[in-house]
Amino acid sequence: MRKIVIVGVGALGSHAVLLLRGVGLERGAAAGCEIVAIDFDRVEQKNTLAQFHSKSTLGKNKALALQQSISFLFGVRIGAVPHRLTQDNARALLGGAALVIDCLDNGPSRHVVQSFVRELGIPCLHGALADGGTVGRVVWDDKFQIDEADGRGATCEDGAHLPFIGLVAAQLARAAQQFLASGQQMSFQVFARSPSTFV
Amino acid sequence: MIQLVNADAFRRQATLNITWAGQNGDLPNAIAFDAPDADIRRWAVEAVRSGIPGISADADVSFRDFVVERLSATHDLPNRVVLRPKTPFG
Repeated sequence: MRKIVIVGVGALGSHAVLLLRGVGLERGAAAGCEIVAIDFDRVEQKNTLAQFHSKSTLGKNKALALQQSISFLFGVRIGAVPHRLTQDNARALLGGAALVIDCLDNGPSRHVVQSFVRELGIPCLHGALADGGTVGRVVWDDKFQIDEADGRGATCEDGAHLPFIGLVAAQLARAAQQFLASGQQMSFQVFARSPSTFV
Repeated sequence: MIQLVNADAFRRQATLNITWAGQNGDLPNAIAFDAPDADIRRWAVEAVRSGIPGISADADVSFRDFVVERLSATHDLPNRVVLRPKTPFG
């Protein structure tokens, strides 16, 4: 069974899990995968506007809430780790993964992921959003540059950008599925007002 | 007629890909792959003020906080210099 670890299940990560929930059930080359979601954060009211978290899970850990929702709605079992990823636990949480999908929202944690996957040669796909819901990036690690936040509001603070978040999450899930099926690594830039481009 | 091409000069060229206001387009002319960031931002401002394919003209354009990324050529893509907004969120 191949392990797919999704780190950060907020705006992009929660929707990526929603869209990838079937990979363990598929036939063919993408079959035989298990999904593990990692997040230390808790579901807040504002999260329900732009993330795949519902009012019924308010106050719960996001990874556990997503596990519960996916099981309740689709009867699909995913793994959940309700902890913050750090240098100290990276090996325990990411080790043995066939694919790591980084959907984190802060530079320091992304650096932990990037340094670990580079050290062990684990394939890693990054999902990233600009503020304002105008640009998204779905980029494999060899081409991914980590951007630090500059104090502006996150795209997922309200529901105005949910359709765009869904679009980027769909590209993310598609790139992951393509990799699991064929090993091909496709990177994209996604734009609110232009067609997507390859990176 | 045989046309001689300076391979080194070709390798140092790049496409400038610009993202502005959710739109994306390439500068029609090639630039130097190692051009200074300040020059790249200035060329992009001049280009977007008059409009380029994919990006509507905008007199108020500014790339002050944007990221300049240099992506070396792959088997199916040329050298690219990408000017884009920061994407710190997930």
